[in-house]
Amino acid sequence: MAIETEPGTTQHPGGGQPAGGAARRPWWMRPAIHTGLIGAVIGYAFGHWLGNLIASGYQQVGTSDQNDTAIVLGYLFMVIGWLAGLGVFNDLFKQMAGRRLAEAENGNGPGGLAQYFRFHLDHKVVGIQYLVGMIIYFCTAGLLAMGIRTELLSPVHHVFSSATYIEIVGEHGTMMMMLMTSVILGPFGNYLIPIMIGSKRVAYPRLEALSFWLTPAAFMILLSALLLGGFHMGWTGYPTLSIQDTSGADAYAFAFGLMGISMTLAGFNILVTVICYRAPGMRWSRLPMFVWGILGTAVMMALAAPVLSGGMYMLLTDRTVQTAFFTDQLGGSTYLWEDVFWFFGHPEVYILALPGFGIVCELLPVFTRKPLFGYKVAAAGMIGVTLLSFFVWQHHLFDSGINPDMRPLYMLTTEMISIPTGFIFLVGMGTLWKAKIRFTVPMLFCFAFFFNFLIGGISGVFNSDAPADVTEHGSFFVMAHFHYTIMGGLIFAFMGGCYYWLPKMMGIKLNEKLGYWHFWLMFLGFNSTFMPLFAVGWLGQPRRVFEYALRLQTLNDWVSISSYVLGFSILLFVINFVWSTVVTRVRETGNPWESRGLEWQIPSPPPAYNFEHVPVVLSGPYEYGSEGSEPVADLNPPVGVLAAAFSGSETARAEA
Amino acid sequence: MSLPVRVGTLLVAFLAVVGGAIFVVIHYLLAGPPTVDFTSQAAPGQPVHIVLQEAPQTTVSDRPDWVSYFIQDPASHQWVHTTLFKVPAGSMIDVTVLGYDGCTPLRNPFWGKISGTVGNVEYVNGKPTQVLNSWGECSVAHTFSIPGIGLNVPIASPTTLAANNNLCGTSPCTSGPHTTVTFSFKAPATPGSYFWQCRIPCGLGFLDGFGGPMQTIGYMTGEMEVAG
Repeated sequence: MAIETEPGTTQHPGGGQPAGGAARRPWWMRPAIHTGLIGAVIGYAFGHWLGNLIASGYQQVGTSDQNDTAIVLGYLFMVIGWLAGLGVFNDLFKQMAGRRLAEAENGNGPGGLAQYFRFHLDHKVVGIQYLVGMIIYFCTAGLLAMGIRTELLSPVHHVFSSATYIEIVGEHGTMMMMLMTSVILGPFGNYLIPIMIGSKRVAYPRLEALSFWLTPAAFMILLSALLLGGFHMGWTGYPTLSIQDTSGADAYAFAFGLMGISMTLAGFNILVTVICYRAPGMRWSRLPMFVWGILGTAVMMALAAPVLSGGMYMLLTDRTVQTAFFTDQLGGSTYLWEDVFWFFGHPEVYILALPGFGIVCELLPVFTRKPLFGYKVAAAGMIGVTLLSFFVWQHHLFDSGINPDMRPLYMLTTEMISIPTGFIFLVGMGTLWKAKIRFTVPMLFCFAFFFNFLIGGISGVFNSDAPADVTEHGSFFVMAHFHYTIMGGLIFAFMGGCYYWLPKMMGIKLNEKLGYWHFWLMFLGFNSTFMPLFAVGWLGQPRRVFEYALRLQTLNDWVSISSYVLGFSILLFVINFVWSTVVTRVRETGNPWESRGLEWQIPSPPPAYNFEHVPVVLSGPYEYGSEGSEPVADLNPPVGVLAAAFSGSETARAEA
Repeated sequence: MSLPVRVGTLLVAFLAVVGGAIFVVIHYLLAGPPTVDFTSQAAPGQPVHIVLQEAPQTTVSDRPDWVSYFIQDPASHQWVHTTLFKVPAGSMIDVTVLGYDGCTPLRNPFWGKISGTVGNVEYVNGKPTQVLNSWGECSVAHTFSIPGIGLNVPIASPTTLAANNNLCGTSPCTSGPHTTVTFSFKAPATPGSYFWQCRIPCGLGFLDGFGGPMQTIGYMTGEMEVAG
């Protein structure tokens, strides 16, 4: 096991060794977000110039008034400039030149607010960066959703043009689907997984930090599509619409592909960390359920996201240098895109769901004060969902070109996935059975998760049924279904995780009264928004169309007004977050939930390198209410225990 | 960091974000081509006269090579680079289209058939026509089609090679070879937005010609707003 046990020298995430000198430079000369922005601007200008130099004479460019090559090269060099400005390559070049790494230069110097604006190798800093980033991305996409619902207040009077409306729909959908893949793995996974498994660090700190710093680039590039006329094919980017589309589609494909790289890096890092960096005694049977959930997510990210990136960059070459991967008339195949996209796209649904499963399974025992009912069943559920997620993607093609003989197979595999999903529900209900429940804010979000995901799951069974899907496909019914699973599941779990773990991550507890208000408004607003959309869909309203039948206006108005309540609840969360963490800053350094989780056995926020010594895990994290249960870990094991643990020798262990 | 500094920083950041959001909404989401209003010009019971032109390029925009429609403002008689216009519900609409663009063979002869106009007829340089056969000769430039009311009018192009080689070079066109197509149709009694477009793939440089101006409002697609 590749774990550093008792190092002779101070450990530094990423392997950087301390060296003086560089810290003496003034702050504005040290790599951080401002130098990144400068690098991005220079990079874009250079890339755009290069693209014009190469391609402005192309006949296709001359007749279309659109040089996609210049735009794509602009984005490419913008990202390179952004990363270079952040100092991502500094250590690489220094090592190539045989120089020692200066710790302060790569952001591993003293803490403070500035560290959150740098390319930092501490997984806890990256976790906080992810948290703030994800909230910003989510709120931006949420505001776009408010724009959609405002437009749909009336089928006759319009706020936006039809073209702008579809741009907003595409931006909202893509931003949510590409960036929210990391909404739990990013903040909570990166921050907590090493601590929960008893490690002082992650396996690949540079890849982890890089995975985060690609997300602001992807976010900004995607937003820039609005300045280029948007993209009109929705988040699924089907050719030939996406090949014909105006320059905004370049931003879509580049940003989504970039986010695929970020997901791949994040997935591999978590995967190797969990497999190789567990503390002694942290057996697979003692692994917290949140770690299981994130592990499954990481597997899916590592295997599915590269396919997405490949597909997106094939689309870009179709748009720029006239390849024909997805053009039927030229020997390509639009169906190939559907396969490539959904081979990522459906595992992505579980990339979004599994972390939520992990959070609720983690929180339920804490607030019921009972052991988790059926630990192995829950773990099996996570593994089952992970494996089956790669065998269902063709159900998205039931109505778009699939060989009809293949429909029953994919109908079956899709319906089969409700079995491991059902395991999680079984475990949840078993844990709640006869429990003395503490109705804290995080626990309320867990309840809401089960309620919402149940509706989302049941409606999903309808969609997986090929005959029913023929009717429902492309309607608001499908839209309501996946919002119930993704927002009703993932985002509710994320919120529960925020209230539960922020005292650990920031040493600050969110205001509880505002938390209750947030929960009830969000729960009622969410259900009031999306429940009627099942009916709207069955009554025939198609997705992505800004006009609809007059008879559906009452339902649509109800939904729009409810969505404002939902939006207000999110605003309340942001106010609570900012108020608690910036203004009042009420300290919470202990174990406010009386959790047995290993992460709660150390101070809040955790010290550098998490543990003074690598702990020895003695028992599982959910043994609540059991007489004589051992402490979860020995945080200060006697000398010799660790050596024995790694020696593999029973005799040595016994002696220790 | 002291509390006033934290709160001050927060306020500055908040204002910057709100300012940025408002800028994007106003300049990109709510911005668009203007709507030419024909409702105020229409006398009750009298037909509305709309004059359009199709230009082979759009030199007034940042897409100079894109083909585009223009609409003549009924008050100022200036050409406006837009494809949005507003008419009274249930009114009779008399349309004149000045076809300055050259011919593009129809991909589908179905679009050569006139439908949805009064008498299912259009007048090409004053000559009543029910079908423009672009298979026999290259005689159609674009179409003016409103799918929501079943309207399809192919716009004839100058037919001679010499004319097609000497199309007007700046837009909006004021001189050069062109055809004059007129037709009438009845606006729907139901208020709402009615999408209209050209049916001939005229987005040069895009896959199959369906991109660019074909899908961009202000060029070859637009909306007819029917006011109640």
